[in-house]
This record gives sequence, C-alpha cells and structure tokens, in this order.
Amino acid sequence: MAPIRPNAATGLRPFLRAAPGIRPPFLARTASPPQLPAQRWHSSVNPDEVSHFNALASEWWDPHGSSRLLHLMNPLRHDFINACLTSQPEARPSSLTYLDIGCGGGIFAESAARLPSTSSVTAIDPTPSVLAIAKAHAKKDPMLASKLSYQQKSIEELPTPEKGYDVVSVFEVIEHIDQPAAFLDKVKPFVRPGGWLVMSTIARTWMSWFTTNLVAEDLLRIVPPGTHDWNKYINEHELRRYFAGKGWHSPRVMGVVYIPGVGWREVKGSEKVGNYFFAVRRDAEES
Amino acid sequence: MARRGYATMTNDIYDVVCVGGGPAGLSLLAALLTSNLRVALIEAQDLTKSSVLSLPPSKFSNRCSSLTPSSAQFLNSIGAWSHLQRDRIQAYHEMQVWDGVTGARIEFDWPTQGTEKTIAYMTENLNLTSGLLGRIRELGGVDIFESSKVEQIQLGEETEEMDLRSWPVVQLSNGKTLAARLLVGADGANSPVRSFAGIESRGWDYGRHGVVATLALEGEGWGGEYSKTAYQRFLPTGPVAMLPMPGNFATLVWSTTPANAALLKRLAPKDFIAAVNAAFRLSPVDLAYMHSQNEGQDEEYQWRMQHTQTNPRMLPQAVVGVQEGTVASFPLKFRHADTYIGERVALVGDAAHTIHPLAGQGLNQGQADVQSLVGAIEYAVSHGQDLGTQMWLESYNSERYAANHVLMGVCDKLHKLYSVESGPLVPLRSMGLKAVNALGPLKGFLMAQASGSGAKVI
Repeated sequence: MAPIRPNAATGLRPFLRAAPGIRPPFLARTASPPQLPAQRWHSSVNPDEVSHFNALASEWWDPHGSSRLLHLMNPLRHDFINACLTSQPEARPSSLTYLDIGCGGGIFAESAARLPSTSSVTAIDPTPSVLAIAKAHAKKDPMLASKLSYQQKSIEELPTPEKGYDVVSVFEVIEHIDQPAAFLDKVKPFVRPGGWLVMSTIARTWMSWFTTNLVAEDLLRIVPPGTHDWNKYINEHELRRYFAGKGWHSPRVMGVVYIPGVGWREVKGSEKVGNYFFAVRRDAEES
Repeated sequence: MARRGYATMTNDIYDVVCVGGGPAGLSLLAALLTSNLRVALIEAQDLTKSSVLSLPPSKFSNRCSSLTPSSAQFLNSIGAWSHLQRDRIQAYHEMQVWDGVTGARIEFDWPTQGTEKTIAYMTENLNLTSGLLGRIRELGGVDIFESSKVEQIQLGEETEEMDLRSWPVVQLSNGKTLAARLLVGADGANSPVRSFAGIESRGWDYGRHGVVATLALEGEGWGGEYSKTAYQRFLPTGPVAMLPMPGNFATLVWSTTPANAALLKRLAPKDFIAAVNAAFRLSPVDLAYMHSQNEGQDEEYQWRMQHTQTNPRMLPQAVVGVQEGTVASFPLKFRHADTYIGERVALVGDAAHTIHPLAGQGLNQGQADVQSLVGAIEYAVSHGQDLGTQMWLESYNSERYAANHVLMGVCDKLHKLYSVESGPLVPLRSMGLKAVNALGPLKGFLMAQASGSGAKVI
C-alpha cells in the first residue's frame, strides 16, 4: 500500500515537483563530514518550512483536518519505541525522559507525557504559531502540566544537557531539513549514552513520489499541497550508512502503511517504499 | 443560578465519570478499576437496593436476563462472575420456537450430544448488579455518588492553569461538581448524558407491553435439571416466552397489547396461570376470547383444552403457581441513538439503544458495548492518547453501531412478521421456519448468533 504523508512543509510549489532520480543533498553530505553553513538564526531550519507550518497551525488538532493521518499514526510511534526499549539486553528504565524535536502541535509530545512511564517531556519547535497551538492545546489536559514543557527553539538554540535524554524523537522532521546529516550530528549530544534516537520519515521512491506528492497533495488534496519536497526524502539504507561508525548501534526499522478503512499497520519491508520509523541506540561509552 | 467557574479544583477532575449504576455502568466500572484511571459513578438510586439479593432460594425476582456465553465470559474476565450467586443462575441448552398461527416450529439444540453446550444463562438482574457491586467493592478506588441526581451538565471553563471548555462538568443535586475527561452515559433510555451531547435517539413505540412474572412449573422441565429448554411462541399480539430458572421455576416475558397487559396484571392468580398456560397451547382465536373475559380464565381454559390437541413434550411444563407481586409490565420501544460517541462522551446500553425483548439481547448488547468501549479506552491509555477525545472513541462506535443495528433490525422485522394473522405472509413465514429447521448449518449459525459465540454478522 501507499505511503502517505500526514502533515506539513515548504511553500506552495508547482504541480509537479522535481521528479525522482535526482540525488538528494543527504547522500552527498554523508560522504564527507558535514560543514555547517553560516546561519542567520536557525542552522537546521528552513524559513520556507516555518511559514508553511504557520499556515497549517490552526488545523493541527482538528481530528478531521489535514493532520488526521498523523494523529492516527501516533500510537504506532509508541509501539515502535516500546519495541526499541524491550530489545535492549538490560531492563528498560523505570521512568524515561523525552526530547521531542520539531514537536509541531504536540501530538507526540502530549502522548509521551501521558504515559505513566514518562517522567518528563521537553518539546521544541521553531515555528511560533505552531508552538502557540501546542501550548494552548496542552492546557486542555490538566495532567500534562507537570510533565510537559514547550520551548520555541531550534536544536542549535537548546543548551546541550549534561546527561542527555533517554529518548530523543525526531518525527516527520528530517525530510523537511536542508542538511539532515548536519542536523543529526547536532542531535547526538542530546541522547544520553545508552539512550535512543527515534525518527520517522519516508523512503524516496517512485512509489512515495506518486502517493505523497502527486496523489495525496495534488490530486486528492488530503494533504495540504506543498507539504512535501520529495527530493528531501531519505531512504533507510542512507540512514544506516550515516549512523555507521559514529557511536551508534542496534539500528531498528519498522515500515508502516496506511490502509483506508483500517488505519496504520506495520508491514514488513514497506520501509523500502514508503513511511517508516527508524531508531538507533547511542553507544554506552563514547568511542 | 449564578454563573460560577466549574471544576477548577483538581480533586473534581476524573478520567471517567459514569452516569448510571445498572448492569452496563457497573460492568464498565469493574473493568476500569484495574487500570490507574480516576473513576466516578453517579447513580440516582440508593445502591444498596441493587446490591442486596436477600430473596430465599425459592423466590426469584421478575427482572431476569438471558446472558450469552460471551457476556458471561466478559463478566468472568473482569472478575465479576465469581461474585454472582451461582445457584440462582440457570443455564439452558435448547430453544423451542414456533408460530402460534400455523404451528410451524424450529427446534434449537446442539447436535453433539454429551458435550455440554450452553445457549445462555438465565440470571436475575439483581444477581448481576449485586455481583458487580461486590467486585467493585473488592477492588475499591471508585468514588460512588449514590442517591445523587444529575442537576445539570455543561462544559467547563478556561482558567489561568487549564482549559476545560471541552470537558463535560456534571453538577449533582448536593452541589458537588465533577469534570470528566470522558463522560459515559449508562443512564438508560431517557439518558440525560445523551441529551447533553445533543445526540438524537430515533425509533418508535410498538404499542405493546412486556408482561413479566416468576412462575412455578409442575416439574424441573422435561430434560431434568441438567438439560433445560427456553420456549417462545409467536402470537399475533407479540411473542410469549418462558425461560427456565433453577428448580421448577421459570420466568415469563410476554409481549402483548397494553389492554391485555392491564388485564393480566389484575387477574386472580389462578386465572393468570390459566392465561399463561393457554398462551402456549390454545389458538389465537381462543386466546382473543379469553382476553375479553374479565375473570374466569381458569374455567374457560380447562374447557377449551378438552378440545385442543397438544403434544406436551413440545411445550413447556404446565404452570402451577405465580409468585406474589411478580406480575409487572413495561412498554416496549425501539430506539437507536444516531451515534454512540461525541467529544468526551460515550453512550452504552439502553442509553444508546432499546431493543425488542424477543431475542433477549438487550443486556448482552450493553455488555458487548462495555467490552468494546473498555478496549478503546485501554488502547488510548497504553498509547498516551487522551481517552476522552472522539478520535480514540471512533473504534467503539464503528465496532458496536453496525452490530447493534443488524441485531435490532432482525428483532424488529421478526416482531412485525409475526404480528400478521392472515394473508400471504403467514404461509411464507411458516415455510421459512420449517426450512430453517430442516437446514442444519443455517440453524447452527442462528444458534451461534443467539449465544453470541458465532462468527459475527458484521
């Protein structure tokens, strides 16, 4: 079945975006250590993306709005994180700290904070209106206040913690970033040794171009046009290659497919063609 | 009254507030108490009334339900079944259903002899509610507001710290307010929760009343204590059913016209007994005459039986007594809510649907509703979702709405089909019953549906 991108990004583009076959920036950059270009305010954040999400903010929590597919996908993120934690040889920590990068309206951040096994969630996003939506929505659930905190920041602006977080999540984000390799380098210090970096994205295939860009955005319009830039999609093997030899281990992947009338389901092997989750565990000791 | 800010006190905030302490509401609580949710129950009645089952072994309440094995299994899974008084429950293994006009008959019994297969368990509703309350007390941790009327329900307000504008806030007659992440209406056919949610309930009245009574029979049934049979005869005025209780007792459910119901309630015991025996034996014409008499049904019945051929083994054993004070009646209705869910609202049981009692499925539908809703809640909680939001209640609505709709439609059509006394429908329906009787696999399917163990239609 088809990969479908539930939310966000980049200003409106012409009907057909760059067609498949063009090598994305990510591949080029993994070959040599990434060099950060000089940035005005956010190094990893594309201002076009910020303005696109600003425009989408009001629909974020509408269960029948453009973010519906993202809401429906959210439980599977927890299933995937659970699978990561139970795959560890040692027992999972009794309480977990989360950092959610690019939290958007807080769909994942709120749900992580509700879990009894969570001690705290720090959630960041650079888009002001989106973060305002997230904060206003969190007030609707009194149990969140003690565990969930939002900050309008990019990862560069967040002070590097001493200990790091048990779980750092980067959901539906890296395909919106101009230099994903540089971004992932910056994320690493936020994951505590032995902690997990968990992300989700879409494979860059003909299938995903067809379904997410052409069908979902341009023809069916179930995803706002301009949400996806197919060229920024990243394939699983590219992620594996990036993390190899950089102080990470135990990469895990889970391909998920949206089946109309049924919902999101894990489908083995579908990470090669569409939406997938990917996680790596940081080495216990720095190499 | 003056406007004030509701439920800004943290101790007024609940994950689940259930209005209504009947079988559905109590099952929901018992199922949720093993989670870490903060749960409250609001019940207008004094719950000691539904928690004390102090009748002697020879007396049975007239409000009984036929619990399917799936309902019994659910009650067992939530730890309630063992709290029921088992010696007051009667399993039955066979059903006899026939057409009062043509005599066409369908017999339901499980083909494999020896391996005991239960169609359903006859249970007093009081036994069920007291067992559920026993389980709830055993678990503890629920705030129970009994003898408390719901004064009003409105949405909460926004304050500096929290925004409860999407949360229903229930105000009780004693002034207490409860804010609900999820407000469950288990509050019956005239559900105040449903009104609050603005959900319409549509349907019609059948112009029929259900007459109930606890009966004593001449024996334990033709099959003895271990092989009991439920009987149902379709009369033009509605179906009459006799369902086995322990020993030589049985419970009556007779759907008939309001005039007949009123007559039956005023008859002297011996005339009432004769009217019940007649309902399973005499022709609709004879019955119509007997229902026009103000008294003397007993003599009339004795006389008419001399001219009526019956095969006693195909009929329930004769009624010899009726327990004092158990003859009662209630109007029959068909109602179905437009939806079972709203934002932070879910309806279960009679608040969602009222069904014709001819299949004995009303209470079982409620139990299946609760089981499905608990599943939706548990999924939401284990995945960090807000259990009250409509998106995470959708699975409950889609699972149960279609299933209930099919069952309600079938029961409604059966009622209408058998209300016809003459004309082309009558021979057709007999043919239908006879055909079903002859077709083993179809019969097996129908029985599996009745016992709730079969593959689901939807």
